[in-house]
Amino acid sequence: MSLSKILGTRALSVVLAIAFCFGLDAFVTGQLNEYVVRLVMLAGLYVTLSVSLNLINGITGQFSIGHAAFYMVGAYSAGIVSNAIYKTQPLAAPAYMIISMLIGAVFAAIAGLIVGMPSLRLKGDYLAIVTLGFGEIIRIIVLNQNQWGGSYGYAIAPKYQAGWLIWLLAIICIATCRNLLKSAHGLAFLAVREDEIAAQAMGVNVTKTKVVAFIVGAAFAGAAGALFGHMESFVNPDLFKMEVSFLVLTMVVLGGSGSITGSVLAGATLFILPELPRIVSFKMSLGLLLSVLLGIGVLVWMNRKFLEKYHEPDKVKRTLVVAGANIGLVVLAIVVGKLLNNVPVFGTTNYDANKIRYMILAVVLLVIMLLKPTGLLGHHEFSWDWVKRVLNRNKTGEASA
Amino acid sequence: MPLLCLKDATIKFGGLTAVNKVCFDIEKGDLFGLIGPNGAGKTTCFNLITGVYEPTSGDIDFLGTRICGMAPNKIAEIGICRTFQNIRLFGTLSALENVMVGAYLRHKTSLLGGFMLTPAVIKETAELRKKAMELLSVVNLTDVANSRACDLSYGKQRRLEIARAMATDPKLILLDEPAAGMNPYEKDELRSVVFKIRDDYEKTVLLIEHDMKFVMGLCEKIVVLDHGEEIAYGDPSEIRNNPKVIEAYLGEPV
Ligand SMILES: Nc1ncnc2c1ncn2[C@@H]1O[C@H](COP(=O)(O)OP(=O)(O)OP(=O)(O)O)[C@@H](O)[C@H]1O
Ligand SMILES: [Mg+2]
Repeated sequence: MSLSKILGTRALSVVLAIAFCFGLDAFVTGQLNEYVVRLVMLAGLYVTLSVSLNLINGITGQFSIGHAAFYMVGAYSAGIVSNAIYKTQPLAAPAYMIISMLIGAVFAAIAGLIVGMPSLRLKGDYLAIVTLGFGEIIRIIVLNQNQWGGSYGYAIAPKYQAGWLIWLLAIICIATCRNLLKSAHGLAFLAVREDEIAAQAMGVNVTKTKVVAFIVGAAFAGAAGALFGHMESFVNPDLFKMEVSFLVLTMVVLGGSGSITGSVLAGATLFILPELPRIVSFKMSLGLLLSVLLGIGVLVWMNRKFLEKYHEPDKVKRTLVVAGANIGLVVLAIVVGKLLNNVPVFGTTNYDANKIRYMILAVVLLVIMLLKPTGLLGHHEFSWDWVKRVLNRNKTGEASA
Repeated sequence: MPLLCLKDATIKFGGLTAVNKVCFDIEKGDLFGLIGPNGAGKTTCFNLITGVYEPTSGDIDFLGTRICGMAPNKIAEIGICRTFQNIRLFGTLSALENVMVGAYLRHKTSLLGGFMLTPAVIKETAELRKKAMELLSVVNLTDVANSRACDLSYGKQRRLEIARAMATDPKLILLDEPAAGMNPYEKDELRSVVFKIRDDYEKTVLLIEHDMKFVMGLCEKIVVLDHGEEIAYGDPSEIRNNPKVIEAYLGEPV
């Protein structure tokens, strides 16, 4: 591809990204209820978190599970600085946001550097334990600081809910990682993930690569934390517990470690998934619940066994048969559920969907991991070339059929 | 001045002296063989030269500078690169990307530019890709450039390792049992690749190999190790008739 074409595409993407952010803001704010607006903003933050953790975990292969700590460092450091200057400096809110983002990013990057150090000596499970411990240590230190409100929490001024900025940050984070993977520099990160000893023997500076991954990943999480702090205008250490780290880690693994596209999709959907029962809030009878679980079990089992045994050369026919069988099973599960409801105990014991939302999340994770252990996208990325290839494949498929 | 110079290089692992006072000089343009029975300390020698281990005592000089204690990536930078006995490719990366990692050593753009994908970085990436493609054609792997390294056959993986090491532009290339697991046809092909590396690309080659016919037909100078000690040095005909070597390989015709 020629350089001018590449730069043209670049300019177009930037314009589209900005249009998207402002479009989203114009559309979301005021049009939808406050809760949904909040969800859209939080989803943006989680996309940033999962994509930035993907840089450390998926791309560089350093198993870090304390991402909430960087998020927290960002929120508190930005809040503290912003509070200090807000009283004396009457700037417009967006200006504060930009300053806060930078401050959050810098402090989180320093934290990233500190956590990155052990990664030079530790691998796999051992590194995971250290990062996890680090996350908890930071949280507990903050918890014990009375000047920052301790466990009660810390108020951050000004309150500013900037959906456009949150999504802009997410897009910048995605673009940064994507750029890296498109350049030869990205290969150094991937090489470290694949085989550290071989990478170093080929002249890759493994130390520098790991530390940079931690610093950049942490900086984005910190910037997200800063925006989160201003969005909530009140933060407390409970918001940055291990659960947050695990949720983000789950997003990365589920999306397919190393795949940016996967992290984005998983970040946006997985965050919303446990919230859905809150929005639609329905009651589920025990009978229905059991049959759904049963249906899922059979579905997983069948897809694994069936796909192993079933060899049909015609792709279209194969897809139809598999899809048909799956739909049939779901219908069957619903019928069984309705029937079970007639049994007195099953029909009268009800569960609030809202209460079992984390259970639903767990089941979804189990199913995906059983059906596709490499995550939704494996190592693949979305690209227009890929779309073209798929379209062409279908065309040639039709022609030959 | 010799290119590489081992002076009494010694390494001990606890009570075991894996390499004991080994001395040899490699001149520029040599095709140098390192042989010996299993566990003789050949791979450990490579690990000493490439900085994986630091010698317990003794010196290793490359172009007159002492390289003991240097990080492996620094040693790669000054011009020594290697392949691994137990193949260590970047499994999920494509063959082409594997070679590009090697070529990446000579990059000039900054990492910051990489995050922003500046035009200079795009241009450099294209250049590295071109260079990697060229090296793939040297080892006859052009047709599998886009296959994942872990999906390649054993012989192809060995050749890919050579291409990857060559991509770092080394002055000295170390090959650890490059012919292991290859059939006679592949070995012939490999032989011509090694000659090409030495004659067309003007590299110095140091190789470990168990296949005596292969080594004798390829190398001009050979060092023999046994139990970490250097027991013989010379050209193939001298080595073939050396009683110590015959004893070390007990029974095996050399
Ligand atoms: N890191 C280590 N720690 C302890 N012992 C080691 C280490 N590396 C190598 N050794 C020992 O050093 C000796 C020499 O090993 P080395 O791998 O160099 O042999 P080699 O000549 O390459 O043999 P082969 O032909 O089987 O590859 C062996 O006894 C081995 O067990
Ligand atoms: Mg060996």
